[in-house]
This record gives sequence, structure tokens and C-alpha cells, in this order.
Amino acid sequence: MVSNATVIEQEAEFETTAYHPIESELGSVIDIDNFNFWYGQKQALFNNTLKIQKELVTALIGPSGCGKSTLLRSLNRMNDLIDGIRRDGTIAIEGTDIHDPRVEVIELRKRLGMVFQKPNPFPMSIFENVVYPLRVDGIRDKRLLEETCERTLRDAALWDEVSDRLQDNALGLSGGQQQRLCIARAIASEPEIILMDEPCSALDPIATARIEDLIAQLKEHFSIVIVTHNMQQAARVSDNTAFMFLGRLIEYGETKKIFMNPMHVRTSDYITGRFG
Amino acid sequence: MKAKEPKKRKEKKEARMPAPEGDSGNHNEPPLETTQAVEAEKSPPGRTGFRAALDFKARGEPFIWIMGGALALGVLMIIGFLVLVLWNGIVTFYPGPVEVVTLKNGKQIAGEPFRSESFHPSPEQMKGLDPESQRAIREADGFASRTLYRIGNFDVYNEDFKWAVAHQVAKTETPPGIFFIERKEWGPFIGFIKALKLDSRRISGEEVSLDTLYSAHDEAVDRREAVRSIEVDEIGAINYYIEEDRLALRRTELDYGKKSAEYRAEKEKFERQTKERRAGFATLKKKIAAINKEDEKYQITLREIGGREKHLRLSEIVRLYPANNLSLFGKIGVYFSRWGEFLTDDPREANTEGGVLPAIFGTVMMTLLMVVFVAPFGVVTALYLREYAKQGTLVSIVRICVNNLAGVPSIVYGVFGLGFFAYTIGVRIDQLFYPERLPNPTFGTGGLLWASLTLALLTVPVVIVATEEALSAVPRSMREGSLACGASKWQTIRNIVLPQAMPGIMTGLILAMARGAGEVAPLMLVGVVKLAPELPFDTFFPFLHPERSFMHLGFHIYDVGFQSRNSEAGKPMVFVTTLLLITIIALMNAFAIMIRNRLRRKFVEGQF
Ligand SMILES: Nc1ncnc2c1ncn2[C@@H]1O[C@H](COP(=O)(O)OP(=O)(O)OP(=O)(O)O)[C@@H](O)[C@H]1O
Ligand SMILES: [Mg+2]
Repeated sequence: MVSNATVIEQEAEFETTAYHPIESELGSVIDIDNFNFWYGQKQALFNNTLKIQKELVTALIGPSGCGKSTLLRSLNRMNDLIDGIRRDGTIAIEGTDIHDPRVEVIELRKRLGMVFQKPNPFPMSIFENVVYPLRVDGIRDKRLLEETCERTLRDAALWDEVSDRLQDNALGLSGGQQQRLCIARAIASEPEIILMDEPCSALDPIATARIEDLIAQLKEHFSIVIVTHNMQQAARVSDNTAFMFLGRLIEYGETKKIFMNPMHVRTSDYITGRFG
Repeated sequence: MKAKEPKKRKEKKEARMPAPEGDSGNHNEPPLETTQAVEAEKSPPGRTGFRAALDFKARGEPFIWIMGGALALGVLMIIGFLVLVLWNGIVTFYPGPVEVVTLKNGKQIAGEPFRSESFHPSPEQMKGLDPESQRAIREADGFASRTLYRIGNFDVYNEDFKWAVAHQVAKTETPPGIFFIERKEWGPFIGFIKALKLDSRRISGEEVSLDTLYSAHDEAVDRREAVRSIEVDEIGAINYYIEEDRLALRRTELDYGKKSAEYRAEKEKFERQTKERRAGFATLKKKIAAINKEDEKYQITLREIGGREKHLRLSEIVRLYPANNLSLFGKIGVYFSRWGEFLTDDPREANTEGGVLPAIFGTVMMTLLMVVFVAPFGVVTALYLREYAKQGTLVSIVRICVNNLAGVPSIVYGVFGLGFFAYTIGVRIDQLFYPERLPNPTFGTGGLLWASLTLALLTVPVVIVATEEALSAVPRSMREGSLACGASKWQTIRNIVLPQAMPGIMTGLILAMARGAGEVAPLMLVGVVKLAPELPFDTFFPFLHPERSFMHLGFHIYDVGFQSRNSEAGKPMVFVTTLLLITIIALMNAFAIMIRNRLRRKFVEGQF
């Protein structure tokens, strides 16, 4: 990545973003405006500006280290945990700036469920895993917990496999099941948006297919932002795709167009594999 | 990156596979394994013959031997130590035969053979021997063998042990009639029973049957126990209440002054109550006198090998058995009865005989109390250091200091505990809460509480370091998962991090416990005593008395082994007590490990 930094300096001025997304009739859910981000002295994101559309799937693609995860984790302020970060520009969710001091970061994270690259179920029972977001809210009502558990597990297409072993340790599930469990957990707090950071990279093709189906279903109620390295996956599941390169947003547009007929030469290089 | 890795690896393998096959074809070698194939690819052709030598070094064979050897040495030392302690500890209580040795000069020694050794007689000792023996010794390069006998009868002989040089011995017998008699005072008596006086009946030594003897002895023991229970429990209670009343009176005096109406009322009450209590006292005294009078009637006359006689009340005998006339079952019976006494009785004879119950109590209680203090304190400190404090120079310095605390000599902690806990805090507590007891200190001197706190301080670095390690071992993905669910930092720590770190924290506690239970030096300053008058736990409110001084097995070992009248006599007790201490620590650790494993099983259930 060091060499990349020098590249940035050499190509001081990048071309402007090619911008042609599908617009949802519900409007945009996240407005990112001129967002810059630094890890210590190192700038990871440069002037990112895009509007993520409501109840559509947005894919973030780009070479490794281009800042996809950084952007995704900025959306629910997971980067706050890292020492020495700095940022400017705004990110607004449904019109509210998430960096506003009045915004409670805990509340914010409840509105954005997150699924990680490696499944990370807690070492508790399956039931407790799913209802964890409710537990931390202090909800004790057993009926409500059970209802939520069943609903979210059904939504995550896991109910049939685990309904008879809810009290078993979640670590006993297979990798794909664990990831679906994590998705169930992410939607248990009834978020508006689901953030997924390479959710299928640790899974086999069959488990991946199931999760892709699941994304297609979840789209009906949630806005989804998914980071992926798998071009086919991006093409299959997303409506809009954002291509990032060295911390910059190169192209953001309708997935079909991006894959069939990208406007930017870098995008086409990356998608066709001629990259370097 | 990660997503592509498996694919890449496969590609590499496929790319490499054909190459060695081609190679092996050229060199006429059998097909190679994949790993070897990779090496073959690296090493230039023609030098394949050196590979074995390279492999030997590369595999680090010599280091494996060194490491294995170090481990074996360590294990050997531990096993040697355990075997020594176990063997000596286990055989100590087994009753041996009593030999009567007749020396060539006509003197007789009766005793349990204790140990034998070969030695170098000094010229004076040589002079005392007959010419024939002298020659034999000279032929054996000046070596002779001798046996140490435990002869008992300290009140008669003024010594516990006697050597018998093999060349002086005329004959050795094991007479069936000789008895080994453990007494409440003066240690064991070894000799014959001359006569038994049971009330009005007199039986001479030859006619005494063992059954009569044992049943009479049992009755005598019951009487002794009855007296003891009255003395300790009932009279003890009366004394306790009288003392309480006196303290209450003194309190009123301090609060209101000697001339006040309150004091007068209290004084009147005190005098009335004390009078009643003293009356109870007198009745108990009478009871005791009655039992003692009865006890007087049962006496035994003993004769040692030299003919001197000794009169005893039967109740003064703890245990007696015909040492040379004991069946295997009889021996096992004596063995277990000795263990029973050891584990459940108070010590006698300056700790060299009797039991160690108070010391067991003290050790276990102090260790548990220490864990109660050290666990929350260490864990909370580590939590702050690891999770909340901003990682920087200051935290690093604090961490280094904590680690170095573990290297401070433990006696320094003892001094600190005495100076800070007892003499600073304890004295304040006495002034504030127990003014009526002054000038006698309550908390202002060493005691169970201060000892546990001192040891907690001593072991807290271990707990902090272990806890920090355990906390940092909890994967980041778990914390992030929890935070992404909208949990606060504290909720994440409580629900996710702490439970997962628990096995590691328990390991730290186990280490701390083992260290604390085996520590003696600081305890001598902050509350351990040779003989504690009362247990720190009894039936008087508030039941647990953390201010009292207590006994400790570690100190007991030191005391018996090095502070007693006769170190030879103390040696078996040292081993038995060591065995007991090790067993107790092992038991406590086993219990803690059990809990830890139960916790661990919960977390390590098949990561896919
Ligand atoms: N905690 C961190 N501290 C410092 N630099 C970081 C940190 N996390 C990421 N970076 C840097 O920020 C840049 C963007 O990283 P990011 O993780 O967002 O990349 P990515 O696009 O998600 O890559 P990948 O596809 O490999 O996951 C990289 O150059 C990376 O080295
Ligand atoms: Mg990433």
C-alpha cells in the first residue's frame, strides 16, 4: 500500500466520479457528502460523495485496501473505536448527521445492523445470540423475545434448521449457518439498514447462494450495503454498485451499466480483471 | 485478500505438481511427496544428496533434545520431591515394633527403631568397645553401623532417642508384653504394664486382658472428653459473656462517664448478671470435680525396661497398644486412629504431637478470604488497565510496576501489612469502634483479616497479569459483533468479554491461590501464631472473627521442624504436615480447575 500512497501523490487530481445510480422511489437513506477519513496521518478516504438509495442493495467493490471497509464502518461509526482517527465531511442517515453530538452512537448502531466477514456468533445459545440486541436494551418479556427469535431466524432462512435446538451453543453450527445467525442477529433490533462486509468470503458456494437469496428477500424491508470481492455476486445481488479505488469513489451507478458498460476506464479495467 | 487465498493456494499446488514429476522422471527417482517436491524444486539439481544433513539441522533435533531433557529433569525433581514427601508422610503413623536391645555391658534399651546408618566411631568411642569389635571395625575401614531408637519415657530418661552401636549389642528381642503408650504429656511411654486399678479391682500386669484394658481406657477417654467439653464449651461461654458484660460496662463508662446515672444502672446490671454467671460457674466446677474424683479411681502402673515405675490415671493416656503383639488389622487400626487424631484434634506438647485441625482451619480460611479480596480487586484493576485506560506511556509504566511487584520479597509485604494494616488502619479501627477493649488491641495487631489482605496484595500482580492476558485474548470480532448490535462498552465487557476471559482469569486465581497458601514469611508478622487460643470461627456472634490470630500449616512445619525441643522427633511431623498442606492446596486447585474447565467447555465447542 505504500506504493499506492506515492501513486496518489503523483496523480494528484483524480477524475470526477461517474455518477448514474438507480433512484429509489423512496429516496435516499444515507447521504455521504465530501467525506474524508484519516487513520493517524494516513488518509484512507478522499472526498467520497454518494447517496445510498432506500430499500435497494448497494455493492461496494474495489481492489483490496481501497477503503471499502473504512467507508462501511464509518456509516455506523465502528471506526470510533480506533485511536487516532480523524474525519471531515458529513454522513447523514434519513437527514440526520450521524456525527452530531446529540446522536447517541448506541442508538445509531441499532439502526444499522452489521454483518462481518467472518461469522462471529457469541459463545452462547442460538436463542441468546439472536435476542442479544434486545437483551442489551433490557427487554425481559419472554414472549417478545421468542417471537423476535422466530421471526428473525425465519427471515434469515435458518429457522427450519435450528428450531429444535435453540438452546444449543451457537458455536456448534456450521460456518454458513453461523453467518445466517449473524444476519438474524443483525436484523433483530429492527434496523433500517444492513451493512455487510464480505459476508460470504468464508463460505462455500452453496452457503453463499443461500445468503444471496436471503439478501434478495431482505431487500424488501431493508436498505443493504454490501462489500464484496466477488464481481458475479455484486452483479447478481445489487441494484447499484460503487467502485472505489485508492480511497476515492470512481464510479457509482446502476449495476447493470457498471458491468456491461462502465463509464470509467478504471472500472472496466477492474471488472474485466485487467488491473494494475 | 482472505477471500482469494484458498483459491490461490490451489492454483499454486496445481502449478507445482507437474514440475517435480517431470524432475523425478529425469533423475530416475521414485515419485516424491508434495512437500519434498517443493524442496526439490528449491534446491539446485545434483545437490539433492545433502538434503538429509540439512534436514537434521533444520528440524532442530539438538534443541528438541535439550528441551526434552529440561522437561524430564523438571519432572524428575518434582516426582522425587513428591515421592519423598508422600512416602515419609504416609509411613509416619504406621506403628512399628518395639525392640529390646541388651548391650554387652548388661544395659537394656527399649524403643522403636527409628533409622540406621553406618558411621565413623571416634577414638573415645572405640576405647569403650571390646577388642574383638575394635578389630572388626578396623577391618571394615573404621566403619560401624548403629541404630537410633526412639525410647520415649522423656520424664524418666530426659532424652527421646538413643543410639545403639551394632558391635555393642548382645541380643535384640521383641517381647510380646511390651506396650507403646502415648500420653497426654511427656510423650510416649515404652514399657510394661505392672498393674491396673479399676475402681476397687486390682489386676496385676500378667492378668490384664486387652479387652479390659481397652474398654477401661475408652471410658476414661469419655470422662476426659466430658471434662474438656465442660471446660472449653460451657465455662468458655460463661467467660465470654462475662467479658462481653464487662466491655458493655466499660463502653457506658466511656460514653457517659463514671458518675452518670446510665453508668450506675449498667453497673448494677453487670454485677447482678456476673453474680448469676459466677453461680453457674460454681456448678460446673462441681461437675468437673465429681468427674475427676471418679477418674482418680482408674489408674495404671507402668514399668520401663530399667524397672522404674510410673503411676498414671488411665485418662492421661491417649492411645496404647502392645507393639509386638499387634495383628495387621490392629496396626491399621492404630494407623487410622492416629490420622484421625492428626486431622481432627488440637495440637499437644508444643505442637509436636496431636492434631493440626486449627492449622488446617486457619490455612483454608485465610486462603479463601485472600481469594475473596484478590479476585475482584485484581480483575477490576486489570479491566481498567486493559479496556478503559488510554494505552500509552503512563499505562506501560503502571504495568511494569505491577509486574515488578511480584518480585518484591514476601517478607517486605509482611512488614508492610503489619505497619499499614495492623498498626495504622487497625489501631484507628480500635480507637473508633472498640475503645472499651483498649489497651488490648482488637484489630490493632496481626490477625486473619490482615494476613489475608497482605497475601492479597502479594498475589494481586499475578491476577492482574493473568486477567489482562485473558482480556486481550478475547477476539476483536466478538467485541465488534456486540458493539454493532448496539451494546454499550460496559455491556460488551460484561456480556461478552468477561465470560470469555473467565477461564483465563480463573487460571490467574489458581496461581495466586497456590502461591498464597504456601507463603509463610509474611504471615509470621501479620497474624500467624504458634498456638492460637481460639479458632477464627466459632459459635459466638458474628461467628467469623477476622481479627483473631490463627494457626497455619506452613508455619506449623517451620515451628515443628526447627523450633521444637527435639528436631529428630519433629521430623516425621514435618513430613506429615507437608503432605497435608500439599494435599490441601492440590484439592483447592483441583476444585478451581474443575470450575474453570466447566467454563471453558462452554466456549470451545467446535469452532467450525
Ligand atoms: N486500523 C487501521 N489503522 C491504520 N490503517 C488502517 C486501519 N484499517 C485500515 N487501514 C488502512 O486503510 C486503508 C483502507 O483499508 P480498508 O480496510 O478500508 O480496505 P478494504 O477496501 O476494506 O480492503 P479489503 O478488501 O482488503 O478488506 C488501507 O490502506 C489500510 O491499510
Ligand atoms: Mg475490508
